Amino acid sequence: MSQGLDRYHRQMLLPGFGEDGQARLGHAKALLVGCGALGSIIADSLCRAGVGCLVIADRDVVELTNLQRQVLFDERDAAEATPKAEAARRKLSAINSQVRVDAVVDDVNHTNIERLADGCGVIVDGTDNFETRYLINDVAVKHGVPYVYGGAVGTVGMCYTILPHTPGGDAPWERIGRATPDLRDLFDQPPPPGSTPTCDTAGVLGPAVGVVAHLQAAEAIKVLLGAFEAVNPKMVHVDLWANTIRQFDVAAAYGAGDGVCSKQRRFDYLNGARGSGVTSLCGRNAVQITRPDRPAGPIDFDRIADRLRAHGDVRTSRFMLRANLTDGGEPYELTLFTDGRAIVKGTDEPATARSIYARYVGA
Amino acid sequence: MIYLDNAATSFPKAPSVAETVAGFLASAAANPGRSAHRMAVETERRIDDVRLRLTRLIGGDDPRRMIFTLNGTDALNIAIKGALAAEPDGAHVVATVVEHNSVARPLRALADAGRVCVTWVDCDEQGHVDPADIAAAMTDATRLVVMIHASNVTGAIQDAAAVGRVVRAHGALFCLDAAQTIGLLPIDVDAMNVDLLAFPAHKALLGPPGVGGLWVGPRCDPVMRPWREGGTGGDSSSPAQPVEWPHRLEAGTANTAGIIGLGAALKRPIEGRLAHERELRRMLMDRLEGDGRFAVVGPRDSGRCVGVVSLNVAGSDPHDVAAILDDSFDIAVRAGLHCAPGVHRRLGTFPAGTVRASFGPFNTEADVDRLAHALDQIA
Ligand SMILES: Cc1ncc(COP(=O)(O)O)c(C=O)c1O
Repeated sequence: MSQGLDRYHRQMLLPGFGEDGQARLGHAKALLVGCGALGSIIADSLCRAGVGCLVIADRDVVELTNLQRQVLFDERDAAEATPKAEAARRKLSAINSQVRVDAVVDDVNHTNIERLADGCGVIVDGTDNFETRYLINDVAVKHGVPYVYGGAVGTVGMCYTILPHTPGGDAPWERIGRATPDLRDLFDQPPPPGSTPTCDTAGVLGPAVGVVAHLQAAEAIKVLLGAFEAVNPKMVHVDLWANTIRQFDVAAAYGAGDGVCSKQRRFDYLNGARGSGVTSLCGRNAVQITRPDRPAGPIDFDRIADRLRAHGDVRTSRFMLRANLTDGGEPYELTLFTDGRAIVKGTDEPATARSIYARYVGA
Repeated sequence: MIYLDNAATSFPKAPSVAETVAGFLASAAANPGRSAHRMAVETERRIDDVRLRLTRLIGGDDPRRMIFTLNGTDALNIAIKGALAAEPDGAHVVATVVEHNSVARPLRALADAGRVCVTWVDCDEQGHVDPADIAAAMTDATRLVVMIHASNVTGAIQDAAAVGRVVRAHGALFCLDAAQTIGLLPIDVDAMNVDLLAFPAHKALLGPPGVGGLWVGPRCDPVMRPWREGGTGGDSSSPAQPVEWPHRLEAGTANTAGIIGLGAALKRPIEGRLAHERELRRMLMDRLEGDGRFAVVGPRDSGRCVGVVSLNVAGSDPHDVAAILDDSFDIAVRAGLHCAPGVHRRLGTFPAGTVRASFGPFNTEADVDRLAHALDQIA
């Protein structure tokens, strides 16, 4: 056994792995977007498996309420409010010093994602919002990089691997007929703001996250090994309370819709046309977040108010919803308007405001 | 959408602007003064025509004294720094508390660098400055007086002619920031004793962004220095920046497309615009005054104002009010300090600022009505 591979012995025993497979992983690079509950488990898994380079991007810092499920972090990280990407890098380098971890403490957006994804064999989803997922989807399809989507909230979770269609039709997975529909083939639009529950408002069962994160990690390893025939072409849905595990065949979605990314090759999120805008309000310690387009219907203030009441005082009027929240010990005032825009008071950092929006409103 | 943010930049532009800019870029965009081919000469002719029309608009006679700049801020920086560059450290400058940051910050930077000492003259409760206070603030060391012509926050028009007389009698230079008045108020640099007149093209002149102007009067000739040197048309042999106008202050390729767009905008007469804006301001004031839910900041009497109204809704943050107006009523206004923190400090609206509605020639009484109605619902 060649030097340095001993630690991977149990994994190399697996069919389709071996020393060759392990070496392949060792030369591979993965981008992990978001290092919260899903992301920290995925990072741990990929690092232990010996993926050569992990780029971990996350804009948030560790908070006490994260520790219930975000396995890489501890009380000291929370006390020191260490950025998640940086805390992860420290833990991971102690776990496996052969793996290079690049910690990126930043908002992932249309200006930086292509650079972050450069040279990566897979992009793995650890995000908490749909805007970033649609952005990842654009990069994945544009550059023909597999994307492992995942999400968990409450007691349910989903995992789905996008092996994108490419213009040449000759990506390794396409040659064996395994390309899958992308996110915009499945749902042309992300859900409107405030219409989906978030972990911060609806809660989340730690093991539900674990199940999804490990499904994602397994998919990512298969992708990096080049074992595309083993990649699950179906969308997996689990509910740990209702005790159901379901798989959906979504193959028909490619070809059914407009194929904005896959066929028209238009990348609205990546070219910045569909991203939300942020403006710091001068001298106000406040940031305004605007949505690129008005949601189809008005935002349901009552529903959002119900969810937010557990976090603080919430008031609504015809025109706006105002919530006074405490997040990580800091007070924030979130004002949401009917078109989905919001003013977050208590920060002048766009990344912090986006994070508050994603976690409490849901986007 | 009802656009009530004309003090930030006017919208829509004069109808012919877009067409003229596009036509120029498509067919004749040569570099004026740099080459002698026919297209360059034609571009230069068109630029000079705009120079002439701008000069006439402000009562100047020699078009070479009209400098093209990038915007109002650029014109003010060129004016202020250029007029003071030759002065020894410690020169005294007088400005007012109602200045825009494009005046306040350059002066602050010069003061921080130990170059000048600035006296900030106060205004009254409605935002007007008393020319006598300017006179009182001037000392033997005063070299420059800089004043905003009309406030972009309150709309208050200052008595520039009276200030001009005071400054001329003293002997200092007088720089007027006409960002909110050019294209509305009649300006006559001679009659008003103005030495430096700075303005952008993109506000009431209805021109495109990226163009401004600075008129430099003859009293500036001995002291005025460029703060950027470089290529000009004409004489390239001299190692130093030429001292002739406009080249002394006009290094670098100009925004030819923007200037020619401004030329198209200048073909519209400005008569009647101020009266129209004032009428809209009056209407809005009538609807708000006496209603305890609203607090208007600035002059009650619209007769000494441009079409700007700054207000607050009791108990509401101006940014929230602006967001609701945009979101629920499709009305575009601006909230906050409007780059002029001094006037808010003075009038008690710092740091939250105000909601500002500012009118343009295309606004109608129906727009004011919609705004008043929306404010009534929000309050
Ligand atoms: C009074 C005043 N002065 C100066 C400026 C600066 O002009 P510009 O934005 O073109 O640089 C403005 C406008 O923003 C203004 O309102």
